[in-house]
Amino acid sequence: MKKRLTILFTIVLLVFSLGVAQVQKPSDLKFPPLKYEPPDPKDFRTEFASGLRGYIQEDNSLPLFNISAIVHFGGLYVPKDKLGLDSVMSDTLIKGGTKTREGSDIEDRINFIGGSLNFRVGDQTSTLSLSVLSEDIDEGLELFFDVLMNPEFREGPLDLAKASLIQRLRQANDQASGVLSREYERLLYGDHPLTWQPTQATYEGITGADLKAVHAQNFFPKNIILAASGDFKKADLKAKVNKAVSGWKNKKLSIPMFSKKFPQPEPGVYFIQMRTNQGYISLGHLGLEDTNPDYFAVQVMNFILGGGSFTSRITTKVRSDEGLSYNQGSRFRYIWGYPGMFSGYVQTKSSTVGYAISLILGEFNRIRREPVSDDEMETAINYYLESFSNSFESPQSTMSTFADLEMTGKPMDYYKTYRDKIKVVTKAKVQDVANKYIHPDKCVIMIVGDFEPCNAGGDKWPGPLDKLGKVHTIKLRNPLTGEEPK
Amino acid sequence: MKRTLILFFTLLVFASLAVSAEIQLDVKEHVLSNGLKILIIPKPGVPRVVCHIYYKVGSINERPGITGIAHLHEHMMFKGTKMMGVTDFAKDDSLNKRIDKLMDNIYREKFWKSDGGDKEKIAQWEKEYEELVKEEKQYIIKDDLWTLYMKNGGTGLNASTGNESTGYYVTLPSNKVELQMLLESDRMFNAYFREFYSEKDVVMEERRLSENRPGFFFNIEFHDRYYVPNNAVAIYVGDLDPQNIIEMAEKYFGRIPKGPDLEPIRTYEPPQYSEKRMYGEGNAPTSLQMMFHTPPDGDPDVAPLSVLASVLGSGGGGGGRFRGRGGGGSGRLYKILVQEKQLAVSVSARSRAMWYAGAFQFSASPRFDKNVKPEDLEKEIWAEIEKIQKEGVTPEEIQQVKNRSRSMFIRSLSSSMGLARSLGRAELNRGWRSILTDLDDLSNVTNDDIKRVAAKYFVKDNSLTAIYTRTMGQRQRRR
Repeated sequence: MKKRLTILFTIVLLVFSLGVAQVQKPSDLKFPPLKYEPPDPKDFRTEFASGLRGYIQEDNSLPLFNISAIVHFGGLYVPKDKLGLDSVMSDTLIKGGTKTREGSDIEDRINFIGGSLNFRVGDQTSTLSLSVLSEDIDEGLELFFDVLMNPEFREGPLDLAKASLIQRLRQANDQASGVLSREYERLLYGDHPLTWQPTQATYEGITGADLKAVHAQNFFPKNIILAASGDFKKADLKAKVNKAVSGWKNKKLSIPMFSKKFPQPEPGVYFIQMRTNQGYISLGHLGLEDTNPDYFAVQVMNFILGGGSFTSRITTKVRSDEGLSYNQGSRFRYIWGYPGMFSGYVQTKSSTVGYAISLILGEFNRIRREPVSDDEMETAINYYLESFSNSFESPQSTMSTFADLEMTGKPMDYYKTYRDKIKVVTKAKVQDVANKYIHPDKCVIMIVGDFEPCNAGGDKWPGPLDKLGKVHTIKLRNPLTGEEPK
Repeated sequence: MKRTLILFFTLLVFASLAVSAEIQLDVKEHVLSNGLKILIIPKPGVPRVVCHIYYKVGSINERPGITGIAHLHEHMMFKGTKMMGVTDFAKDDSLNKRIDKLMDNIYREKFWKSDGGDKEKIAQWEKEYEELVKEEKQYIIKDDLWTLYMKNGGTGLNASTGNESTGYYVTLPSNKVELQMLLESDRMFNAYFREFYSEKDVVMEERRLSENRPGFFFNIEFHDRYYVPNNAVAIYVGDLDPQNIIEMAEKYFGRIPKGPDLEPIRTYEPPQYSEKRMYGEGNAPTSLQMMFHTPPDGDPDVAPLSVLASVLGSGGGGGGRFRGRGGGGSGRLYKILVQEKQLAVSVSARSRAMWYAGAFQFSASPRFDKNVKPEDLEKEIWAEIEKIQKEGVTPEEIQQVKNRSRSMFIRSLSSSMGLARSLGRAELNRGWRSILTDLDDLSNVTNDDIKRVAAKYFVKDNSLTAIYTRTMGQRQRRR
């Protein structure tokens, strides 16, 4: 018995050690080939009655139906004396009811059938989205097009929305992250429609007639692109949509154009006092548009600098090496039709605010000065190539992506050629775009935090903050009136 | 070998459970001999696979003196293993042991001595620590695991620590799931906690923690106890071949020995004998919170409480799996307090059935312009509670919640990541099938059930009321 047990034990050990020996290092793994071609927008593009366009994908895997209407209208196009109309419209397009239905009846019905109907006005586009079970497609579509075409913006829901938005204004200076993002934009773009903020007076001045006028002027078939997916037959859906929109009249599109010239703020530190135990920081300047041919090289460069999470230089330096922060990096933000913003960002305890900024500035300079390594290039480029198919996982978001391509006028082979454009980015090109689009000498450094401990600094970077440039103090405006403090 | 394979395959359970006539939830289930459960959901389409692994460990496994360890340990799991993140393991290990000894000396001097210890000694040790950390850097490959995942197209890379469980996430191209198997089995088996002290500073930034005792060696003890195959579940959802996943799991996770049996956590919630009230103030909206003790996940009262939360607060987006909640829309409280009486800007109700205890929560913010006080909203909510205790809710309200639950469940099946999360967490508590049986329980809720739970749990002695008042501008430090 004992002998048997010993043999068994030996076999177990042998099997176990063989098992361990089988395990390779990651570099030994050989992956089978995988070929992936993205869906082609033209396979889904559909034209409806009245000049309405759309992207439609049948997907019978689940009994669901999703549809969105993307409208070329946003907060940027709201006149200065009606600022906030976009937010009021977001809250009342559905709740304000239609010519034949109360808003509460629409919401009750959508809730009863277990669906969702949402509307949000963005900077330059607005989106109405419906999701219902496919058994409720007819009722869902009826409510969807009624809200899209015939909103009434009734007084009761309108007053409620305005009261709620004014109450929210009172909280506009509560959170450091919200204050930083708003004031950083205001500093970079100056007094421009991109940065205008509503006040109590502009909210109070918005009427149902204003909303109806803006709706009538912007919500028409040729100014809208649909995105739909789910368990239906394409021909059936097309017929239903055509029936709903036939007779819907088009208007002349009038999109205002604004200046693309922005003031160059004086480089240096811009401090906003708030009693928090961390400093919230953004540092940078204006960036580029995403239609710029350098866009792809900038993406790769920023991945290496601070966009590639733990593989990026800023995260390695500020978080992994020094343990200064949880959230840090760099980003290029893009705005349709206007130059975007470039910023490094970090949140860190007050005593290490100056040190963290100095490390980020150091990385801005390094990526301009030295070529990136082969390993960094390989990681960045492979990430974009290997994760590419992720963008098309959801049929509905794929259809919305295609609608967005058409709305913003980007080439329809954008995704087909995307990987080729990433593949050709070289180390030299990365350094070239770093020099072209990152300018440490022009950076504004905005800090929201508690000035005294931030200015005092710590062991590794003793203050004062003016070592980083002239310190300007920004006093926050009264969010209700928009007035500067006296 | 053939016999072994047969054994493996007999352990494989093909569970195809029907949600409705047209919906099937196909979960392939396989258990390794070391106790690790593998759940597989094939979802043909885009060639990606969501790969999640969940451990039944969280802050509930902490105790005074080691609070924060579960979260810190999750961060340390990204610091590499004996194979990953290091060029010369032997040298790195020797340096780490010296670093830990030095930090122990500093800790004892600083915190064990009432006068804060010998400053010169501490400064000398800190200098030595900095030098050792500098020396160690030559052997460390920074964020090796993270880089490797990203280089291979990994997205959704993350980890999270909750009260009850801890999860590690990545989504990979379908042909690269083996990478996850290798890396996750390696860090379950061979985790190595280098760069401990700088990472502790990162966690302190993420969440202000008190000074914690755990060091390098404590992490090993915590890891060896909880990060074992018999305390985990691995989930794969996407465009995959189930047999291939099982073979890889056998090869990589199968090499890890079963860990010791873990004693289940037993909790006891002492009864609350009187109403509790809390008051706070600061730079945040004036608000009211009312909370009531409720039973944990799995109790028969959870379903009616969930329906009740949806009836009272629905329309704000729903609350996912049996966490009935909502912030507006057509919920009863929204209609009464926001639309009709215009006393609140927002109001919601939420039922949270957690693993070891539950809570039902009302939240509301009063209308500032109408000078409404949180206490006014409290009275209104109590009036509605009393009405429900007597009359219950309407058949339409119950039916609406049932319809919403069904459609939300079907919708949840379209998100691979959401599915992996629901299944994984459910598996560690009452088994993944509970997400289906809970749906059945919900569909059987009656008005009598609702009246009963409202009477049982919504009593003053079982309540905690918190009132927060905004004092913007009054406590700002002036420059």
